[in-house]
Amino acid sequence: MNVVVCVKQIPDPADPGALDPETKTLVRSGKLILDESDSYGVEMALQLVDAAGGGEVTLVSMAPNDEQSGLRTALAMGAAKAVLVSDEALRGSDALTTAKVLAAAIGRTGQPDLVLTATESSDGYTGTVPEQIAELLSLPSVTFAKSIAVDGGTASVQRQTEAGYDDVQVPLPAVVSVTAGVVEPRYPSFKGIMAAKSKPLDQVTVADLGMDAGQVGWSGAGQEIVDVSEAEAREAGTIVEDDGEGHQKVVEFLAELKVI
Amino acid sequence: MFQWSDEQEMVRQAVRDFVDREIRPHRDELEFGDLPPYDLLRKLFATFGMDAMQRESFKRRIERERAVEAGESVEAQDAEAGRGGSADAIAFTMIPIIELCRVCPGMVTAMGVSMGLTASAIMSKGTIAQKERWALDLLTMEKVGSWAITEPNSGSDAFGAMTSTARIDGDEFVLNGSKTFITNGPHADTIVFICKLDEGNPPEERRIVQFVLDAGMDGLEQSKPLRKMGIHSSPTGQLFLTDVRVGADRLLGESLDAYSGKSGKDASKATFSMERAGVAAMALGIVDRCLELSLDYARDRVQFGQPIGQFQLIQLKLATMEVARINLQNLVFRHIEMTAAGVPMSYAEASAAKLYAARAATEVALEAVQLFGGNGYMAEYEVEQLARDAKVLQIYAGTDEIQISAVARSLLAQG
Repeated sequence: MNVVVCVKQIPDPADPGALDPETKTLVRSGKLILDESDSYGVEMALQLVDAAGGGEVTLVSMAPNDEQSGLRTALAMGAAKAVLVSDEALRGSDALTTAKVLAAAIGRTGQPDLVLTATESSDGYTGTVPEQIAELLSLPSVTFAKSIAVDGGTASVQRQTEAGYDDVQVPLPAVVSVTAGVVEPRYPSFKGIMAAKSKPLDQVTVADLGMDAGQVGWSGAGQEIVDVSEAEAREAGTIVEDDGEGHQKVVEFLAELKVI
Repeated sequence: MFQWSDEQEMVRQAVRDFVDREIRPHRDELEFGDLPPYDLLRKLFATFGMDAMQRESFKRRIERERAVEAGESVEAQDAEAGRGGSADAIAFTMIPIIELCRVCPGMVTAMGVSMGLTASAIMSKGTIAQKERWALDLLTMEKVGSWAITEPNSGSDAFGAMTSTARIDGDEFVLNGSKTFITNGPHADTIVFICKLDEGNPPEERRIVQFVLDAGMDGLEQSKPLRKMGIHSSPTGQLFLTDVRVGADRLLGESLDAYSGKSGKDASKATFSMERAGVAAMALGIVDRCLELSLDYARDRVQFGQPIGQFQLIQLKLATMEVARINLQNLVFRHIEMTAAGVPMSYAEASAAKLYAARAATEVALEAVQLFGGNGYMAEYEVEQLARDAKVLQIYAGTDEIQISAVARSLLAQG
């Protein structure tokens, strides 16, 4: 079974991030790391390939400055190879362009049985790319998977909902987005880290994907960032003194929120 | 080598993540609850494949030794064996030490004594059969080892005042004595017992010999953990031997010929050198964490209307900590480079490195406590534990005073 996992390399959330005042986008000039939300997809893919008894996990990523650090982390976890799209022309790409680039890059990997993504990235949060990829590849899409089991040409997916989960079956190949925290991503072993250095990494440009530079980046974006402002500070909560009827106030508060 | 390579940096990050997620949450149990550290160490080994790497390396070494015994040509293997391994392989042993010491330096003591001192003693002095019988399980942390040299009345003067004895009785040896401050003593499965061979000669003329003991042997008693100032995550205890009878199969080397002249002391000295080099990595972990915590605190703690990091006396502390961190890191890099090049650190240089590292760690950790003020004195804040833990570096593996003597004697002997 061959699984492609789309992974994003992002600035380390532990470091203070910065916005480029010109472009109003996140500065990505330094070392980028594997987005934690993608590590769950990588782990799930590795488990599915193990369970299938054969096949491999291929990573697909789009990143500036030929950045490979995050990919190397996922390769060290056990992925077999990677496709990296890095091109100055991609700067400023919106979600749809990103999906087009990733879909084209997935096309370079052959015929995957399954494409996994996170539900959203930890730095962009559009949460639209997985479904756009599925549409561009004309594949069925299932979102918010908490578990995936493959049997022949069908995947059974438990799809997380607000109330619990839905059991969904989808014919393969398909695009499935994986909810964060549903599996425990493995630590890369020391041997895995050393092996990652020599695993195949197919680095390509926009032209290699058969796309025109004018269709991507700022020129191809269907959106414009007009302004960025700080989020409003959280308002202080309401303190209710318990005069013996405190529980009633809690019930009223929850009823007001329509959660009970 | 002036910085970690990309791969070494990845290992460092992965181990740091593991330590933060898997070990840090157990800090209170390790510190105050006598939780033995071994299962957590085994998990560390299994997670990163360190146990498998040890098994492979052990297998290669035994195959080489067998070939040498059989008189086969081992030239190609010798070239590799002559060096101390790749810089990566050595760095991968240093990085877990550094990262563990950022949280629980005692765990490194427990690990180092088991897979370092105890296994190394067997690997350097034992026969192939003895290595296979005892060393592999120690190297993988499957079993816990103790290296028993210190006695109630013999610390720095380890050999001179040693009273533990082995007496020959037919085909057997009869072992007697008390050992104290023995790391892993309460939980050890395998013990390397160092004592003097009593052949009826005066104690000062007796040969130093080493035996391997298993927990539960008749006449061997292992105490409960001793209460101590720091490194609570490293169980320390006493061993009492009363007429423990062993065969020559438990004498390291399986022959008294292996202990002619000063070889017993030399073997122990070689072990000391290795142990002392590891202290630089331990000190680096402690200093690195103290500096990190102190920087955060200096930025956040406001007194007299401004963060305390704005005051020059606090800045002096931070800068001094950074100088120590850089020096220690360079010592670790030097150790990696020298070992990879197959150039062993001299006894005197290892002593100098240990002396500097131990003092730097203690001074930095105490300065961190000072920087934190009243909070730093509270157990809730990590620097309090790190300061107590750091102090042992100036005492075990040779006190500062012993290191000073070793360095000075070496200097005076030159030219």
